[in-house]
Amino acid sequence: MRYLLRRLGHAFFLLVGVSILAFLFSTLAPGNYFDEMRLNPQIAPETVAALRAQYGFDKPLPARYASWVNSIIHGEMGFSFAYDSPVAPLLLVRARNTLLLTVTATLLAWAIALPLGIWSAERLGRLPDRLLSWGTAALLVIPDLALALGLLVFAVRTGWLPTGGMASVDFETFSTIHKLHDLALHMVLPVTALVLSALPLLVRHVRAAVADVLNAPFLLAAAGHGIPRRTLLYRYALPAAANPLISLFGFSIGTLLSGSLLIEVVMSWPGLGPILLEAILARDLYVVVGGIVFSTLFLVGGNLFADLVLYWADPRIRTESGAR
Amino acid sequence: MKARRTFARWLVALGLLHGIVIFAGFFAPYDPVEQDRKSPYLPPMRFHLVDAHGHLHVRPFVYSLRLREGSFDQYEEDPAQFHPVKFFLRGARYRLLGFLPCRIHFFGAERARIYLLGSDAYGRDQFSRFLVGGQVSLAAGLLGAGLTLLIGLCVGAMAGYYGGWRDNVLMRLAELFLALPWLYLLFALRAFLPLAVSPLEAFFLIIAVIGAVGWARPARLARSVVLSAKERDFVRAARGFGATNGYLLRRHILPETSSVLLTQAAILIPQYVLAEMALSFLGLGVPEPLPSWGNLLSSLQQYSVLVSYWWMYLPSLIMVPFFLGYLGLASSLHERGEAYKIDRRNLGTLT
Amino acid sequence: MKAERSSSYRDMQPLLKVENLVKRYAKRSLAGAREELSALDGLSFTILPGTTLAVVGESGSGKSTLGLCVACLEYPTSGSIWFEGRDIVELAEDERRRLRPQIQLIYQDPATSLNPRWNTLEILIEPFVLQRKFEHEEMKQRAYSLLERVGLSSEILGRPPAELSGGQRQRLAIARALALEPKLLILDEALSALDCSVQAQIANLLMELQSSLGMTYLFITHDLAMAAHLADEIAVMNRGRIVEQGPVEKILHQPQNETTRQLLAAVPRMTRTALPALDQ
Repeated sequence: MRYLLRRLGHAFFLLVGVSILAFLFSTLAPGNYFDEMRLNPQIAPETVAALRAQYGFDKPLPARYASWVNSIIHGEMGFSFAYDSPVAPLLLVRARNTLLLTVTATLLAWAIALPLGIWSAERLGRLPDRLLSWGTAALLVIPDLALALGLLVFAVRTGWLPTGGMASVDFETFSTIHKLHDLALHMVLPVTALVLSALPLLVRHVRAAVADVLNAPFLLAAAGHGIPRRTLLYRYALPAAANPLISLFGFSIGTLLSGSLLIEVVMSWPGLGPILLEAILARDLYVVVGGIVFSTLFLVGGNLFADLVLYWADPRIRTESGAR
Repeated sequence: MKARRTFARWLVALGLLHGIVIFAGFFAPYDPVEQDRKSPYLPPMRFHLVDAHGHLHVRPFVYSLRLREGSFDQYEEDPAQFHPVKFFLRGARYRLLGFLPCRIHFFGAERARIYLLGSDAYGRDQFSRFLVGGQVSLAAGLLGAGLTLLIGLCVGAMAGYYGGWRDNVLMRLAELFLALPWLYLLFALRAFLPLAVSPLEAFFLIIAVIGAVGWARPARLARSVVLSAKERDFVRAARGFGATNGYLLRRHILPETSSVLLTQAAILIPQYVLAEMALSFLGLGVPEPLPSWGNLLSSLQQYSVLVSYWWMYLPSLIMVPFFLGYLGLASSLHERGEAYKIDRRNLGTLT
Repeated sequence: MKAERSSSYRDMQPLLKVENLVKRYAKRSLAGAREELSALDGLSFTILPGTTLAVVGESGSGKSTLGLCVACLEYPTSGSIWFEGRDIVELAEDERRRLRPQIQLIYQDPATSLNPRWNTLEILIEPFVLQRKFEHEEMKQRAYSLLERVGLSSEILGRPPAELSGGQRQRLAIARALALEPKLLILDEALSALDCSVQAQIANLLMELQSSLGMTYLFITHDLAMAAHLADEIAVMNRGRIVEQGPVEKILHQPQNETTRQLLAAVPRMTRTALPALDQ
């Protein structure tokens, strides 16, 4: 329990630190967001004045940061000049979509990489393993952008899958089952792109971690005792490899989140990626900060989850932190 | 020993590929900026050895393309007009290695343009744009990686060698940078810098931004190497002869970081090339008309291009050998490090 | 065994005098608890010039820390170390740095005390390079004479340490340590990592150097038999304190302390026969 609290506190510190960093970067920006807002005819001058008062645009950085934090407590997370709305409702929807994509891709990628990596590690150096190595190498050297675009070209040419977006035009009229089906169809391309980009490194690292464990003296000793192969693999080898694998899991979430940024934009999936890009081009400060904070939230959350699983799985960590 | 040879081979292969890009002006038949509004979206030309009458020619040749009857964007070959491929011919001016004025190009044709990879909306030769764009993207990757490793080394060495509060502060900062998914961090940094800049400014801006993003992981690695090197007896012995901190770092400790940094370089360079591509593809990187591998692909964002002009996708496949080279380099460096451990293959499988 | 020295030596000023040396480390366990370890807990001894003091104790009794403190490479928590009449603990950092060449340390494992990326010549002339006093040619000449003094041939000069044997490496380490003509040589388990026959060779080299150069040695070891062979005086260390100190004969035949007795009992039989004095 104390471990959990410590890790939570650490995660919170990271989130706060990142948000401060993001605000700090914003001081680098030339031009005042606010002047651009004034030029925008759609926003009434009273709104501009009210926002200025609320977010303290003329005040120094710490005051601005404090107002932003305050707005989070009120559920707003700042104000979007481009969308003329508080940031939180905008980003929450997008965040949910990104999460949907990333979680699915993570699960799928691991579901494929884990068995493949183990299978490969068992046959280390032999032909099947080498073939797989070449296969992963081939995937690795193709840029993610090329993969995503290639999948789009494929979809366009065959017409089997929708080429972008998250829902068909008449989505609202569908029955629930039909809605789910539609969603799944729209998810195929981006999820495939994400999985394909993450898979090769994942397989390689799983293979390396498992191969290391399979080499360990304690396993050879167990084999010498005549313990059957299946048991050796699942009850001896895999738990020992859990440590690096779980750390790898935390790391893979980071790469998948980064990957999702690009793929969402290319495939018009309405996640954090496209809105972040828009906000950058429109100089919409609070959306940018909000987008960064959300993506960090997911990464930190994912790593926290991995840490906790590791804590539960690896007795060494429990004894180290419990010992006084 | 074998590992060292493999490394050398990959280095040579990469060197050749980079050599072609460095001499892009020579290998590219045309100026990448040069437009030909009468030939938008031309497909790649085919080389022939046998002409329409069945004659075999010594030189390969191409037919010029003309619009098909009734179509506005479908082309067919015109058997009446054929152009033999010539080598080392005079063409557009360029500067070899950036300063030597030159006009000789590796290949081309006398009275027509040879489009190896087709042309884009403005009739610009995609192949030339690929080669010159390679200069931009690869340079961004290399220089960005250099910057990152420099920052990472300095931070890591300072944290590891001096320890104390410096170590704490720097490592906490590194944690913060690692807490962000790196592409988001990259975009965030780019976001807060001026958007409308000249191509040259954009180039250096991109390098600075990319370089500033990824220092945390190399810093941690450098720090751990420095921490363990600091405790070595030969370092203590040198202190015993009156060495200063600067001497110890320079002569004994920093050389220990070289292998770690080299491996990191082989991993970071392709990653940074991809970062530049992502930025340029989305319009945040190198702006037109300066070509880069990223903005070469940006026309593919349009559905119509995706459907009708498949050859615009080709550059993304032709850049694969470069990434393969870096992958091979990274693998062989890893192998070199592992060479001292027992060969796992000898130990067989579980059964 | 070393011959008994004349009593006139006793009247000389000690080269090294250690008084109440204390060194504590703060350790953080992985759980975050702070612990304090006392590596040295009030150590005191003296060494007369031209003699050898052996500090004998088991592993973990803080011996290496002692070597580092005396060599000005670590700061003790409290206490004083008088070298040629000056307390080196009180000196400023750049004074200490100037003093270090006079007190040299020979480490246990020559494989780690020589930079594996350098070749022998570079390793040997490093002290000269750091002192910035000589031209390259003169440095090479001095390197040759150092090699000669420790019995190494000059053909090893271009080779990296990995190509030398353990004994050769330790000789190289000794040669390097002698480069700046130190007054005190601290041997921190300098023989323990060597093969038995090589141990004897290096021990003889050390004794020969002592008699020809008048060197003073502080010999830190766990090997009581080796200490008896090389030293004039033995100090027995246990848990950071000196529990007994005296001339070799007295320690061997009239041990007062339990630790000393245990160490004596632990000397293997075969070594005992080589040193009949131990059995009396």
